Amino acid sequence: MGNIDFTSPLWADLTPLPTDEGGDHPLAAIAYTEEYATTMSYLRAVMALSEHSPRVLLLTAELIDMNPAHYTVWLYRAETLFALSADLHEELEWLNETALDHQKNYQIWHHRMLIVDRLGESEGEAEFVEQMFERDAKNYHVWSYRQWMVKRFGLWEKGELEFTEGLIRRDVRNNSAWNHRWFVVNGREGEGVEGVEGVKGDEGVREREVGFAKREIGRAPQNLCGWSYLRGVVRKGGMRLGELKEFAGQFAGLDGGEVRSSHALDLMAEILAEEEGGRERAGEALDMLMETYDPVRRNYWEYRKGMLGLPSAAA
Amino acid sequence: MPLVKRDDDPEDTLDELLQDKARIEELPSNDDDAYEDVESDNSGIPFPGRPSKAERRREESLPPWLQAATLNLFHDELQTTTSEAQTKVTADCLPLLTGRDTQGLPLNSHGLPHLRREQHVNFLHSQLGPFPAPYVAIDASRPWFFYWTMAGLSILGEDVRQFRDRLMETVRPLQNKTGGFGGGHGQYSHCAGSYATVLALATIGGLDMIDRKAMWEWLGTVKQADGGFRMAVGAEEDIRGAYCAMTIITLLNLPLDLPPDAPARKADLTTFTDRLGEWVGRCQSYEGGIGGAPTNEAHGAYAFCALACLSILDAPHVSIPKYLDAPALLSWLAARQTQPEGGFQGRQEKLVDACYAHWVGGCWDLIQAAVAPAASNGMNADVWNRAALIRYLLTCCQQPGKKGGMRDKPSTRPDAYHTCYSLAGLSHAQNHYQYDKAAPTRDGEKGRLTAAFNWTAEKATETELQGWRIEREDVVEFVHPVFVLPMGVVEECRGLFEGVGILEGAVIPRVVGENAMSCDAGLDGV
Repeated sequence: MGNIDFTSPLWADLTPLPTDEGGDHPLAAIAYTEEYATTMSYLRAVMALSEHSPRVLLLTAELIDMNPAHYTVWLYRAETLFALSADLHEELEWLNETALDHQKNYQIWHHRMLIVDRLGESEGEAEFVEQMFERDAKNYHVWSYRQWMVKRFGLWEKGELEFTEGLIRRDVRNNSAWNHRWFVVNGREGEGVEGVEGVKGDEGVREREVGFAKREIGRAPQNLCGWSYLRGVVRKGGMRLGELKEFAGQFAGLDGGEVRSSHALDLMAEILAEEEGGRERAGEALDMLMETYDPVRRNYWEYRKGMLGLPSAAA
Repeated sequence: MPLVKRDDDPEDTLDELLQDKARIEELPSNDDDAYEDVESDNSGIPFPGRPSKAERRREESLPPWLQAATLNLFHDELQTTTSEAQTKVTADCLPLLTGRDTQGLPLNSHGLPHLRREQHVNFLHSQLGPFPAPYVAIDASRPWFFYWTMAGLSILGEDVRQFRDRLMETVRPLQNKTGGFGGGHGQYSHCAGSYATVLALATIGGLDMIDRKAMWEWLGTVKQADGGFRMAVGAEEDIRGAYCAMTIITLLNLPLDLPPDAPARKADLTTFTDRLGEWVGRCQSYEGGIGGAPTNEAHGAYAFCALACLSILDAPHVSIPKYLDAPALLSWLAARQTQPEGGFQGRQEKLVDACYAHWVGGCWDLIQAAVAPAASNGMNADVWNRAALIRYLLTCCQQPGKKGGMRDKPSTRPDAYHTCYSLAGLSHAQNHYQYDKAAPTRDGEKGRLTAAFNWTAEKATETELQGWRIEREDVVEFVHPVFVLPMGVVEECRGLFEGVGILEGAVIPRVVGENAMSCDAGLDGV
């Protein structure tokens, strides 16, 4: 039995609209439980009347509980909440419980955004999101929500950088945390707050980020997240790639030392190619990658050699 | 209960593309008894102890990325959640990749498993339902099942026209009078539901049931002032919307002009393509890959949506370098092929997943048409590793036992989504797709965008098949690089609405089945 008693007078004025299955032999048909089929029939009935009333909130909550991926139900619920000027704090409390059960659901995060936006305050939100990251620190929807939250409420300097640092400390291979760091550092350019490009004469942000990336690369040199970030900072910050030569060299083993990272070799190939007369040595780095250190990408390294005008290796 | 919803999956693959969490999977059923795990050594060490002569021979015949010397490279000491998950997946895959465990699958003459056509066909048929009650989780995404099954079966060479009447009748209640298709009867129109329905209808020759004028008007309500598209009115704006909308507009030959009352007109936009390329460009992140929306993390599925959308707007060698840093994206894509599994991951430092065989695997034709130099045979020189992807799909992603179907990775169960996109990925890897740079990209000055129709397909040579260690019988059908449909179907679509205006009257919906009286959605509002 469902939680809604449709025999009660509350529903007496409605004629439920049963689903149109599309013929006698519909494809991908679902044997709905009676409870779901009935509740959906009442939802179709209220939607047909464009009714936005408290009982719509009952219906939608019940349906979301049965099928949280039902985007129409979420959108109609949001419309109804706003039409009724309902208590959004109460909605948020209900959402918290639902979110814990259905963390990977997209709609729930979009709905949360609509509610919190309307509420106009983000109290407790950062903590709630962090709770979600305890379960899955790479959930795309949750990160997207986090970005929205930071931007909407101007939380740029409310511990957000430290938050990314904490997550990266915990798992240096969490690329979502790296992406968020980039967002926190560079996301306010529209507001005139410079990121790694730096204000004239102040290279503090850029230097800090270069230092951060280098330190994290040192902890796990074969982790691509740090290298991508470092390259991003250098490129956007207007540095020459060559400024990374000494750093990358430590991991690239080009002079016979241990090759500790294929990503360092890749970077060295690019740095050397930019140097006067460095093309041949760049080709050697690419050869090392295709022959020994990254053979699965052989064709890509060949392509890079071709771009340098170097002859391809014999297949 | 025969079904579970995999909510605890640490790898989210493309839930976001489904606009639902429809990854329903079946628990083991009895027919899996057919598969006996003869080798239970899952240590992940490929060649423990002293190898026998036969094992040494097998190792020598392995490709470089599966050789012990390569496998022993780069093991950073620092262990984290990510590296632990990766270690486990590698351990699951290695015995299958190296042929140490064949799972009882019939092998081809090169020692790789054959493509299990018959079983995959049967599996896809089973994904057309009827489904028991727990499948209520897909109640808002049934159009995807129509598409995944029709596309998957077509890629396997099956004739899907047998489903014509049933499919047209099934989707009839999904079409809204105000245009577009929802995930089910009475549901709001949605870009994903509309995209999946249009594509599924295309495969069975059923597009004429669509109210094109209403579709055009509905799409006008989701076009945004910044150039992108929302997935539905009031829903999220992301790059799927851009790809889905442009696909629908192009296949149905809808006018590029925005409808008169489209909200985006208030921001001085006049066409669906206004600011679109720029918006797509804003989705490229510092990594070089593409996020679902500006500033979001780069993700393989969104890379495909971006490249395919741009390849609709104009010729790929024109539009891709115009709006994206193509070399940076190329480098990002190349890095997604995982060592040693050989499939693709969706994001940096995430796990391999068969669905990216399409989402990332499908990017190569598009980006190579834009930036790669031509090889001596006139084809674009390959920048990626086809053999590695084929091996991953055939060895790790085919469900053993009678049931068939394809799966994300060995520790997961098959589903329609992974079966469809594994097969599409196989088609990208096994076939060649070439863009004809001489062909026109616009039908007249104000007509349809035709760049996406300029693709031709070609089978691989025997030498290539040998190099990939497969036989001709395991090669799947062509799949269109932009629309992910059979090539012939795309050509049919092109002709279907050629020169058909939209305002002089919509095509009358075909009467199907017994409920023809209610088949009137297409006539409203004209």
